[in-house]
Amino acid sequence: MTSLELRNISKGFKSGKVLDDVSLSVKAGEIVVVFGPSGTGKTVLLRMIAGVHYPDTGSIAIDGEDVTDASPEARGVGMAFQNFALFPHFSTFENIASPLEARETPAGRLKEQVGAIARMLKIDHVLGHAPRELSNGQKQRTALARALVAQPKVLLLDDPLRNVDAKLRYEMRLELPRLLRTFNAAVIYVTQDYKEAMALGDYIAVLRNGRIEQWATPMSVYREPVSIDVARLFGDPTINLLSCKLTVNGTGSITLFDRRVPIAETYAHAAGRDLVAGLRPEHVVVSESEAPDAIPFDLDAVMPVNVRSVLYLRGAKGEELLATVGETEAAKFGRGQRKVWVRFAPSHLLLFDAASGQRIAPQVH
Amino acid sequence: MAQLLLDNVSKTYRPRGKEPVQAVKRVSLDVKDGEIVALLGSSGCGKTSMLRMIAGFEDVTEGAIRIGGKEIHLLPPAQRDVAMAFEGYSLYPPLKVRENIGFALLRERGASADIEKRVKHIAELLEITDILDRYPTVISAGQQQRTSLARALIRRAPVSLLDEPMSQLEPQLRAILRARLKDYLIEHKMTTVFVTHDQTEAIALADRIAVMEKGELQQFGTPAEIKQSPSNLFVASFIGEPPMNIFDAAIAAEGNASAISGLGPNGQPAFRLKAPVEAANGKRVRLGIRPHLIEIGANGSADATGKVITNHWLGDQSHICFEIGGCSVVGVPDKPVEAQAGDALPVRFPLGAVHLFDAESGRALAHGLGQR
Repeated sequence: MTSLELRNISKGFKSGKVLDDVSLSVKAGEIVVVFGPSGTGKTVLLRMIAGVHYPDTGSIAIDGEDVTDASPEARGVGMAFQNFALFPHFSTFENIASPLEARETPAGRLKEQVGAIARMLKIDHVLGHAPRELSNGQKQRTALARALVAQPKVLLLDDPLRNVDAKLRYEMRLELPRLLRTFNAAVIYVTQDYKEAMALGDYIAVLRNGRIEQWATPMSVYREPVSIDVARLFGDPTINLLSCKLTVNGTGSITLFDRRVPIAETYAHAAGRDLVAGLRPEHVVVSESEAPDAIPFDLDAVMPVNVRSVLYLRGAKGEELLATVGETEAAKFGRGQRKVWVRFAPSHLLLFDAASGQRIAPQVH
Repeated sequence: MAQLLLDNVSKTYRPRGKEPVQAVKRVSLDVKDGEIVALLGSSGCGKTSMLRMIAGFEDVTEGAIRIGGKEIHLLPPAQRDVAMAFEGYSLYPPLKVRENIGFALLRERGASADIEKRVKHIAELLEITDILDRYPTVISAGQQQRTSLARALIRRAPVSLLDEPMSQLEPQLRAILRARLKDYLIEHKMTTVFVTHDQTEAIALADRIAVMEKGELQQFGTPAEIKQSPSNLFVASFIGEPPMNIFDAAIAAEGNASAISGLGPNGQPAFRLKAPVEAANGKRVRLGIRPHLIEIGANGSADATGKVITNHWLGDQSHICFEIGGCSVVGVPDKPVEAQAGDALPVRFPLGAVHLFDAESGRALAHGLGQR
């Protein structure tokens, strides 16, 4: 059952249009991540769902009921922010209890509910503390507890892990999905971190310049991005982009690094157009020895990062290519500064129209 | 380029009316000619004080600094043969980006055609070609940072000092600019010391990393050494993403052999590994293992069964979090593993990948245990 439904929402301020025809739906128990660089309207979208802003056009429904014009407190929406926004003169307990106080919950039940959520978030030992006595991690958990305590139907999380340190952010990334599932709310989660988006989202809505450019599962956003822009937002290192042209002469092919690369017939409709081929670094195969179909490259630098290493490759004409290989495999390349041979499977190439930046979808006849 | 030597360098700040603060405690570093070294640590660890002492913006309280064998720590900054890129950028406001970058070369009386060529090259490398004719006040913070970096790099000084050189970079540019920067430093054999709080950046760029904490040098080694043989728990947990799994552990004798158990939150054994652990005799220990070295889905000789909590696919890798006897464990398998929350997976902890640490001091006791 759909719990939150946004239909054709547009919103402008004096400075211009911020959201343009945004539609989105979230089922109970589902997490939809709204992902995009800063200034794309993510926060305005959340505020509209919360009832802080009203849309110029379009409608918002929660559990099938139109709430477009309803007041914030009538909506059953919980919200947590990246700056925590705790009441500084309230204790942790009072902060968490504040949404229940607003609904005049009887004292006994209030205490019980605050205690339960505090235990779940492991902050029951700091209920008497003021926000200034809490660590950033505890503040963030308090903000989450406050958003969850009234069991909202819709939960809005505005980049909640932005201001906690890397280690804690990682721990919360593992802990949050389980926590959120127990509440069965429709969750909208805003972030600028693509790994967080892929880890937490059942679906990802990529917001750019006020429009939803793609709304799909993490796997399809990564494997079938609708555009160069979306492809560049997911993946580290960023996808390699190579200009090329598709020629069809019996069989179709593109030329990359002075080599003919066969392209499947299903792309024949793009013949003659200027294209950009996208190749993810993990799909570039690098070896120390020559092979008949391999292309010679200079390996100019080796950058170990965490579980994988990034290889910086330069082609005969100075073309740049990034590849990633496993840690043990990378060891044999030393500091780089040597010749290597590169291969890749044509099936891993993503083809985009150079002019529009849109991905060219294979056509099956 | 030149060798840089820090010999027992200390720095004590004496703020008026307050207790003195020892920001750097007897640190010795030997940076080889043409080597790239990272000073890595969280804020307040003393890394920036070290860089500023090398540059000459802070006095050295005790110890000596030598460049190419020559003692330089009493010389004014301009006579030290160092180029520095500042975290705060400090660009000259009345000069265009182009002039800012070429400024030091002008002073060195380079031929103007040569200067122009070098400015163009370094600007291409750092993707700031299109702003060369703008003024510092009208470009973004990220562009100011790259301009400051270009101004230091173009000099190819005997020693280059870079303070958080890439902290403002948009994520899409990070990998490629790191690659070009590293290539440039290697090509020109530039002796480089850079400061960063980002362990990924340190590992990616540096030949050796100096890990700092509370003014003390914790470890100085290659990225591989630091990953495979961290000197203590601090280094072990600071380096690596996802972080190393670390558990309380208990050692028990079993006849002639011994075994080590990872303990759950209430002190009950969660898993047990048979291994010689003489190194840890009689000590309270903690056990560590890096996520990508845990074997998940291994057939046959599993050490434990993990109950999957989350399985996050991130495009080029998957992170699986599972529970073993109350312990939360993170694994990064070679290949994606089909598993959902609630599934049971056989898990193996290869002994060669197990680290032991003294629970009291945090000091490393063993990296890799012998075969069973």
